[in-house]
Amino acid sequence: MNSTAATAQMHAEVLVIGSGAGGATTAAVLAQAGFDVLIVEEGEWIEQGSVVPFSLQQMDFQYRAGGVTVALGLPSIAYTEGRCAGGGTEINSGLYRRPPEDLLQRWATDFCINDLRPEEVMSIANEVEQVISVSLVPGPPSAPSDVLRRGAERLGWQNSEIPRWMKYASGDASSGQRQSMTRTYLPQAASHGARLVTGCRIDQLQMADGKATRATTTLGDGRHGTIDFRHVFVCGGAIQSPALLQRSRIAGYIGRSLAVHPTVKLTARFADELNVPGDVPVHQVKEFAPDLSFGGSASQPGLVALALSDQWRTFSRAITDWRRMSIYYAAITSEGRGRVRAVRGLRDPIVTYALTRRDRALLGSGLSRLALLMLEAGADEVYPSFRGAPVVRNRRDLATMQSTFSAAKASVMTVHLCSTVPMGEDTRRCGANSFGRVHDTTNVWVNDASLLPTAPGVNPQGTVMALAIRNARRFAATERPRG
Amino acid sequence: MPSASRLRRLDTIVGPFADLLLTADLPQLPDARRAEVVEFVQRRANGVPSFTRFGLTVIALLYRGVMAAPGGRLVARFLASKSIPLLGEYPRLIRSLGYAYVWDRWPDTLPTGAAS
Repeated sequence: MNSTAATAQMHAEVLVIGSGAGGATTAAVLAQAGFDVLIVEEGEWIEQGSVVPFSLQQMDFQYRAGGVTVALGLPSIAYTEGRCAGGGTEINSGLYRRPPEDLLQRWATDFCINDLRPEEVMSIANEVEQVISVSLVPGPPSAPSDVLRRGAERLGWQNSEIPRWMKYASGDASSGQRQSMTRTYLPQAASHGARLVTGCRIDQLQMADGKATRATTTLGDGRHGTIDFRHVFVCGGAIQSPALLQRSRIAGYIGRSLAVHPTVKLTARFADELNVPGDVPVHQVKEFAPDLSFGGSASQPGLVALALSDQWRTFSRAITDWRRMSIYYAAITSEGRGRVRAVRGLRDPIVTYALTRRDRALLGSGLSRLALLMLEAGADEVYPSFRGAPVVRNRRDLATMQSTFSAAKASVMTVHLCSTVPMGEDTRRCGANSFGRVHDTTNVWVNDASLLPTAPGVNPQGTVMALAIRNARRFAATERPRG
Repeated sequence: MPSASRLRRLDTIVGPFADLLLTADLPQLPDARRAEVVEFVQRRANGVPSFTRFGLTVIALLYRGVMAAPGGRLVARFLASKSIPLLGEYPRLIRSLGYAYVWDRWPDTLPTGAAS
């Protein structure tokens, strides 16, 4: 698929804002149904393979603000957003989880979501898995991934390999090619006539009596422009989507219930070399799910240095051993909530997040259990990422670590952001209806992670894609293309 | 969009502090490398979202004020070595960006900053 440069005046029957897991799937469904679809992406099209995965160079090209984005709080939580064609699917681990059926049922009941039928969502998930080639790694797992399996099995903890959206040209893990949106749903949308423009930011939707008719834009060269449309799907992700609605003076339950999976990290050093700079482990430990889960992170040497930086004075000597080190995380399902607020005069929204007392305790116990797992897997030394952390070499050190940990001293981060425009008919706690139309509007839809009523406790992009396709199909069944 | 003059201004605030921290933390990092790292830190600082940028500018100005006073560089280094709530987030950010760049770009750098 080729992207084209944005122009000052553009028109479309359906404007799709954002090209990630929500936007690309929406565009593919609607273009196939015969709608004239224009996808607008703020970032640029970056060809896979042209940047080193999980490197600072990739952050420069494909992350918002170079990856330096933070939800303010005590502690603040660093987060990342994709800002390129394909959105977050181009930069994340590519791990795929189906939406949990019991969670879908709970959402339907608790948030009054009409016709959210788990069997329909699972059927769509089946289709998605075909399109994006969800598969297990052929052959043995990478050494950092095997650490999670080995440690968990020694402790008798439940663990498994998580499939990814990857195609493997040959029979080994290193031949994997990511089946992100630029390889799958965006070309599919283009084959049915959808257009993609990149380097174009949507500043605001012009509203009159609950109807949006025009978007004002800023192009890459700083010029301003407009896009006229009949319907608009806002798919900019859980931070940018509510911010755009707020800038457009759309009221309602927008941006008030940001949900994330906060994570804390540690770096483990082993006797043998194991670091795989361009990949991430595919095993996860789910013994304590959904409250707590463990997995592996990208471990480029720069990221290892970053992980050690909180206690550099005592940890720095380890950096020369980065080839024998890998980074792991403990993620929690948080009871805390955050907010996204667009403020007049500021280009970017203010994002805040407050962990609860239970969240803080869970982060501490998660980090301790993860460190224990590393020791059981044979780690020589473990370096937790919080200020004042000790080097953990045995269970006695583990006790010291537990007594010195506090969430306020930790580098807490997240990559899963959702729930800022929850879907459902209860307008006191939902920003959009059961199929993503923003309450009190007639033609403004949200179709991305913002709609998820709560953080799902698993990698959310499978859920995002399935729900986005469900909602887009409902739209196509009720609205007719102009032809 | 922030104006060009604002960008330059943040450069002049963040750059000297990043240079000070890196000189203290990684004393054997060659000058040319340190200059490259400082440039990277400045670029990232210029790109942070609006509100964070505002906070960063305020704290960075405080540190610049300290550095401008007699003996201020030593005081700034001392402050940067402490985990002071809020104020401490600034050196923490500069350090994390700087270290990440050093080992991303030159993975075999020693903890002193010396090339291996």
